[in-house]
Amino acid sequence: MSDTEVGIIDQIVTQEYKYGFTTNIEMETAPMGLSEDTVRFISAKKNEPEWMLAWRLKAYHHWLKMEEPNWQNFDYPKINYQDIIFYAAPKQKVQLDSLDQVDPELLKTFEKLGISLQEQKRLTGVAVDAVFDSVSIATTFKEQLKEKGVIFCSISEAMHEHPELVKKYIGSVVPQTDNYFAALNSAVFSDGSFVYIPKGVRCPMELSTYFRINAENTGQFERTLIIADDDSYVSYLEGCTAPMRDEHQLHAAVVELVAHENAEIKYSTVQNWYPGDKDGKGGIYNFVTKRGICEGNNAKISWTQVETGSAITWKYPSCILKGDNSTGEFFSVAVTNNAQIADTGTKMIHIGKNTKSRIVSKGISAGKSHNSYRGLVKINKKADGARNYTQCDSMLIGDKCGAHTFPYIEVNNNTATLEHEASTSKIGEDQIFYCAQRGIGLEEAISLIVNGFCKEVLNQLPMEFAVEAQKLLAVSLEGSVG
Amino acid sequence: MTFLEQIKSDFNLYTAQASDDHFSRLRKEAFAAFEQLGIPTTQLEEWKYSNLRSVQQGNFTTSCVSNLDADSLIKAGVLNTIESNKLVFVNGCLFPELSVWLETDERIKICSLAQARKDFSSIFDAHFGKYINFSKDGLLALNTALMSDGAFVFVPEGAALKHPLMITNITDANEHALFQQPRNLIIIEKNASASIIENYMAVGAYTSFTNVVNEIFVGENASLEHYKVQRAAGNTYHTNYTQLHQLANTNINQVTLTLDGQWVRNNLHFFMNGENCNSLLYGLYIPDGKQFVDNHSRVDHAKPNCFSDEKYKGILKDEATAVFNGKIVVHEDAQKTNAYQRNQNILLSNTATINTKPQLEIFADDVKCTHGATIGQLDEEPMFYLRSRGISEQEARRLLLNAFADDIAEKIKIPELVAILESEIERKL
Repeated sequence: MSDTEVGIIDQIVTQEYKYGFTTNIEMETAPMGLSEDTVRFISAKKNEPEWMLAWRLKAYHHWLKMEEPNWQNFDYPKINYQDIIFYAAPKQKVQLDSLDQVDPELLKTFEKLGISLQEQKRLTGVAVDAVFDSVSIATTFKEQLKEKGVIFCSISEAMHEHPELVKKYIGSVVPQTDNYFAALNSAVFSDGSFVYIPKGVRCPMELSTYFRINAENTGQFERTLIIADDDSYVSYLEGCTAPMRDEHQLHAAVVELVAHENAEIKYSTVQNWYPGDKDGKGGIYNFVTKRGICEGNNAKISWTQVETGSAITWKYPSCILKGDNSTGEFFSVAVTNNAQIADTGTKMIHIGKNTKSRIVSKGISAGKSHNSYRGLVKINKKADGARNYTQCDSMLIGDKCGAHTFPYIEVNNNTATLEHEASTSKIGEDQIFYCAQRGIGLEEAISLIVNGFCKEVLNQLPMEFAVEAQKLLAVSLEGSVG
Repeated sequence: MTFLEQIKSDFNLYTAQASDDHFSRLRKEAFAAFEQLGIPTTQLEEWKYSNLRSVQQGNFTTSCVSNLDADSLIKAGVLNTIESNKLVFVNGCLFPELSVWLETDERIKICSLAQARKDFSSIFDAHFGKYINFSKDGLLALNTALMSDGAFVFVPEGAALKHPLMITNITDANEHALFQQPRNLIIIEKNASASIIENYMAVGAYTSFTNVVNEIFVGENASLEHYKVQRAAGNTYHTNYTQLHQLANTNINQVTLTLDGQWVRNNLHFFMNGENCNSLLYGLYIPDGKQFVDNHSRVDHAKPNCFSDEKYKGILKDEATAVFNGKIVVHEDAQKTNAYQRNQNILLSNTATINTKPQLEIFADDVKCTHGATIGQLDEEPMFYLRSRGISEQEARRLLLNAFADDIAEKIKIPELVAILESEIERKL
């Protein structure tokens, strides 16, 4: 590699995470650390009904008995749960009715992130729920959605306005006791989005939640619950960023999806938490539990994720295919650079007859990073005629990174047909050479090749997001060759 | 006495008469490791699907006493029609009457492990226990601490075995339940070559538990054909740990056929510690009834320019369960690695279970690695093709299944053995 190329690369490597600013805003926080009082404090802050507090405490007591998982193939410094602030919220006095009442400082923050809540009012297409640290700030397009009968609000609001729905569905897909981080989330979750699509309704616009961690020493624990009733359809997007801080911050979210008969849920994530600096200092631990259930026949759940941020990503969006003829899909692009670690994949549990699942996972590792696909496809005894197709491809850029695949396939029914394919290879030198011949620089060539490599997944994203995701891929890989 | 108490008392008996040399110190270390690790449980990720609890209920003896004579042993499955060197072990002890020696090259040493320790102690000490790490594997530690006898094979620099060597292990569980731990040490030095068959058989109605460890060293430019034929019918539990340590420019062709056995777990570990190695790993398993077969393999590409190809195929009948876990690890320096891995399964009954886990762990960038797994029934298209040419459904099935299985059996380069095995495969199908 020539000197000029190295120079350009150096320049880009030092380029900083562009969402790394902080917002100065008056905050209200829970005392540091975790105890039963913390749980009670959060519940009281949210003015929650008694059953919710009981539910949280049950999760907390179970969590105390659990141990942090240690089966992963990477190490991270142990998290001290007493050094985390479990609740942080911008101070606001009264319930807001319109965007005009939101603290302008907050609106500015979201504007800076490219999510203009004001603009949303004018541009149709996407309804946004903005979550700042632990609480939901504003939800746009509420009225228009209400006309169709769609409920899109923060989960704390839903607890008051639609308690029967929340009570029925919360914890139905990811129980409080599911795993260490899900139990923690169940005990201390502060807010999140709640979506309910009534029978026969096709949600008229994309729903979107934007998560932002701002305060120092906090953890973000949000909980999203999406219910699509019979014959309905919804497409939901989430995005996230965080400021640059030297210490690691924990993000342990839970997402639950319920799709009833003939319903379809499309869930897309573009995750861009702060990944830490190039030596791995700081960054977000993204330990998330995401699971959907195809409760009724012919239901469909589709997960699409573009993971570019976080120091460590550890998540497995899953589908329980309970209804006959139901479909689960998982499309993933995970890009890691510098010292990042991504351990992600999916679980497809086939229970109903003629259930289908498709997994397409693309991992790109550069720098000193490690990228793993870990997934499970399980065909239960009664899941006649199940079909799965899995493809996981890894691309390696540079000789210090790693790419790993850990697929688990468990089949208890002989009518199942499963295929699993995986490949790992280096970024093609001939492809780079071909681009160079045509005057395309190294960085741009890599960006082109990577985008082509991921195309299958990026095509699944709603248009607005696909553009953002493509740019993000280019940014994350900047400086990866050298 | 429980199984573990019995192991403990066996070890105390051993230590009481052991001298204080390197070998016995190693065994003491291994036993300490075993006491820490115990028999693996399903809590361990590597043993998630393989439950050894039921075997520990048994009341085993470790004595190698057997009433079988040479004729009944031949009937039991010493494949004496195949022209080969032979070592026969019954219940873990050498049965000299059936040993056959065809080689003329006197530099080649083949004998029981116990004898090798006396007669060829310098070779023995240089290699024994050097390629395995028992600190993480309870069964490996247990075998090292309490091994019965086994084969010792030394093919020195430039020598070649003219005929294959067949190591037959016969378990005679006619009189009582039996626990034995065969241990083989195979050393193929620089520029040498050998072909080795491990043949496992069992007779008798009692339960037997056989915990085998093979340590194989393959020196520079050497080549090895290594076949494992598991046909131990009856109430048999069989665990087999085979470690192959390869230096540069070596060729290994390894085939594992699991045709019988109530409960079988194979651990196959290739460590390519030199450039330009070629390693081929093939396997076939045909469990029926309530049989359980678990094939765990790990291929370590530690140096650049190595090639490995792995293909395991299974046909599952009745309530059988099979596990495949293949792992390719490409180390940091191992550029220009080519590694392939496939696992194909046919489920013939809806009560059969297969758990497969093909894994890649890659730490180098200039590599080509692929893995694939398929699970399904017989392909409809070839079936239709055969039917359309007037072949009955039953016959067409037979043809297709045999073709599926023969793909692996053919990797064995000893035609007489292939013929025997193919007819056994056909019988089983």
